Amino acid sequence: MSVSANDTTAKVSLRGFLAKYSVLIAFAAIVIFFSVASPTFLTPANLFNVLVNNVVMLAIVALGLTIVISSGGIDLSVGVSVDMASMIFVMLLAAGYSGIVGVAGGLGAALIVGILNAILITRLNISPFLATLGVLFIGQSTQQLATSGGQPIYLTSGYAADQFNAVARTALFGVPTPVIVLIVLVVAVHVLLHRSVFGRYVQAMGAQPGVAWYSGIRVPRELSTVHVLCALLAGVTGILLSATVKSYVPLSGNAFLLDAIGATFIGTTLSRERKPSVIGTLLGVLLLAIVKNGLLLVGWNFYWQQVGIGVLVFLVLAASFGLRRAAH
Amino acid sequence: MQTAKRDIAVSMTGISKRFGPVRALENANLEIARGSILGLVGQNGAGKSTIIKVLAGIIKPDSGSIVINGETVSTLTPASVEKLGVHFIHQDRLLVPTATVGEAVFLGHEIGLGPFVSRRAMQRKAADLLKRFFGMELPAGTLVKDLTTAQQKVVQITRALAQKASVLVLDEPTAALVKREVDSLFDVLRRLRDDGIAVVFISHYMQEIEKLCDRVTVMRNGTDVGTVDPRQTPIDEIIAMMIARDVGEMFPKRSVALGAPVLEVSNLRLGGSFENIGFNVRAGEIVGLTGLLGSGAKEIVQCLFGLKTADGGQVKVEGRELLLSTPVRAVRDGIAMLPEDRRAHGVALGLSVRENISLASLRRYSKSGLVSRGSENQAVDGLIKELSIKTPHRDALVRELSGGNQQKVAIAKWLSCQSRVYVLDEPTVAVDVGAKVEIYNLLNRLAGEGAAILLLSSDLLELVGVCDRVLVVYRGRLAGSFSGPAMNSDALLAASSGARSNIDGVAA
Repeated sequence: MSVSANDTTAKVSLRGFLAKYSVLIAFAAIVIFFSVASPTFLTPANLFNVLVNNVVMLAIVALGLTIVISSGGIDLSVGVSVDMASMIFVMLLAAGYSGIVGVAGGLGAALIVGILNAILITRLNISPFLATLGVLFIGQSTQQLATSGGQPIYLTSGYAADQFNAVARTALFGVPTPVIVLIVLVVAVHVLLHRSVFGRYVQAMGAQPGVAWYSGIRVPRELSTVHVLCALLAGVTGILLSATVKSYVPLSGNAFLLDAIGATFIGTTLSRERKPSVIGTLLGVLLLAIVKNGLLLVGWNFYWQQVGIGVLVFLVLAASFGLRRAAH
Repeated sequence: MQTAKRDIAVSMTGISKRFGPVRALENANLEIARGSILGLVGQNGAGKSTIIKVLAGIIKPDSGSIVINGETVSTLTPASVEKLGVHFIHQDRLLVPTATVGEAVFLGHEIGLGPFVSRRAMQRKAADLLKRFFGMELPAGTLVKDLTTAQQKVVQITRALAQKASVLVLDEPTAALVKREVDSLFDVLRRLRDDGIAVVFISHYMQEIEKLCDRVTVMRNGTDVGTVDPRQTPIDEIIAMMIARDVGEMFPKRSVALGAPVLEVSNLRLGGSFENIGFNVRAGEIVGLTGLLGSGAKEIVQCLFGLKTADGGQVKVEGRELLLSTPVRAVRDGIAMLPEDRRAHGVALGLSVRENISLASLRRYSKSGLVSRGSENQAVDGLIKELSIKTPHRDALVRELSGGNQQKVAIAKWLSCQSRVYVLDEPTVAVDVGAKVEIYNLLNRLAGEGAAILLLSSDLLELVGVCDRVLVVYRGRLAGSFSGPAMNSDALLAASSGARSNIDGVAA
């Protein structure tokens, strides 16, 4: 009798364990799989490439979305923030301004997108989904109007190109600048979301907005900060993107939106209450980046990569939630 | 004892159910007779909702037998139970808010041809039924969300009757109703009983049980401890059966020396709701506030917490005049609010006990914007102990706590803030008797520590038992202030319904 009871407990906790760490397990399995399937996968050169080109920019956008999703909202316009920052940054450099001015201008453009979202959501009481969807449409059209129908802006030589390089191609103690930027932002957002008073308010608004309001929290103000921060983070990605590819390609920011949402939700499987977290999001981003890279190395084309990622997201979420329910 | 042969509709015998190590039901019995109203009482966790869920086919019992209308049923599903004529009116409204009355009444049993539903026919039939059973003239095209809670209950009952219910189980149907609506609901239930329907009435309100029920089954620790006639058994005795100890008194006595006025309200006015409202609450004083729905009592409380902005008047806390425009200001000015809708406004179910308790006072436990977990934990642990909140640990989710303990977490949040004024909006709705007593004790202690307490309640016995003074609002004006021997439920009831007023007392 007592033996069978112990068995059940063991089984339940094993299921609980699997549910809790399904992302980590999937992560390990995928790394092992690609290491075996492709000789180049585990080389330093490849991992470095994944980190700089696939992880950093997506992770920064995903950090912003992690804050927004924690507050119970969504920002569909992160791509617009990326693009606007990218566009203004490139335009300023092309006009001969210094890198500092370019970065400030780019972040300023993202800030405007964030403020617009904040006003629509907190002043006009439009739901975050619809408000940011509207901003997405407006932002896309704005870019096309500003670039005669979507012409990219390339800068390949001279003063402006040097300014690009100053942002993206430098390194500190052998670590590329973008990676340093990411590390700083990860730490900052982690502290903000999980250690600060503001972060606690964000969690409360996400858990039960009415309770936050009845507890004397300035919900509109905090929610505005949330959306401005998300847009600014996306703006950082926009600048890094332009600096890396030395150009501004209209509407290229949208590619980040769904991956960032996917990464954030994969990250929620780490938490019993399915709350987003910075660590979880980072894991989600790494998982997506590695799968994309690995599938590419074993010879799958771009479209099949998308299928692979879709299946992966399903598997991780289903495993985590299904096992958790069974363990309950 | 006379054992008249009753017509038994449902008989549940020897029902047991375990959830892991927890024994939810242990050899429990329930007998529901036709043409009779059976009360079902017990503290939260006593097993009354579990046994009802067993009957509803939501929970499968480990053992025991169930006989419905003379037929032994082995496996029950929610659908098969409805076919047997047993219907449930659950506490949380389960109507689609955007459906019309007609659609709600025939939900799942739509009238129409094939895949096409005839809204018009459903609305006409629903209107007929409402009129026939309840004499209610409700336009059947009205949307559910535009109905009052009482009307929604009636629509739910109508839905059951439309499907020829023979047994009707109501879980806490009066929790959100005002007195007048309760009375009309009771009339409806009595009429159904006289038509031979078996009614089961689950309630935390003993007065309601006494008034309505023909018999009452008391549950405790997962089993039925007795079935008595509530009209011949004193309430205290029934409560004693529920908690297995002598309640002594439900409302603990106290004696506090009253201090200076802490909350001073004068000439408060909100267009369309109330006007010329003025009263004081002194340190250590518990002042009750009551009135029928729409009397303005609720709106007064909402204005005091900045949920609505008064059109005029003055509110002072400890002599300082407040500008009450939002809860943000109210909280900063030392006003605490225990809202009626605990799940929407009181506690965040998805956050931990710790996060809930410190939510309104995080600034206290933080340095330069970062929460200092050490001082937060210390304060939270202190409050958990002080209020004897039953939680496995401070990081347990509030969702996992019982209703009474959730309410204590909501109170702890304000204790952590060291608020001076406590405004409570129906704090004991849907809280079991044991937890009620604990909440009353807590109020007494708050008052003892010099807080000013304003208690909005529609439970007259509670007001009389707990308050030093009760203010009655009738049609937007103070219609009376009662204290001492003049403060009894008859007087309060009379004043709330405008039958009598006691304006002299208002000057206090």
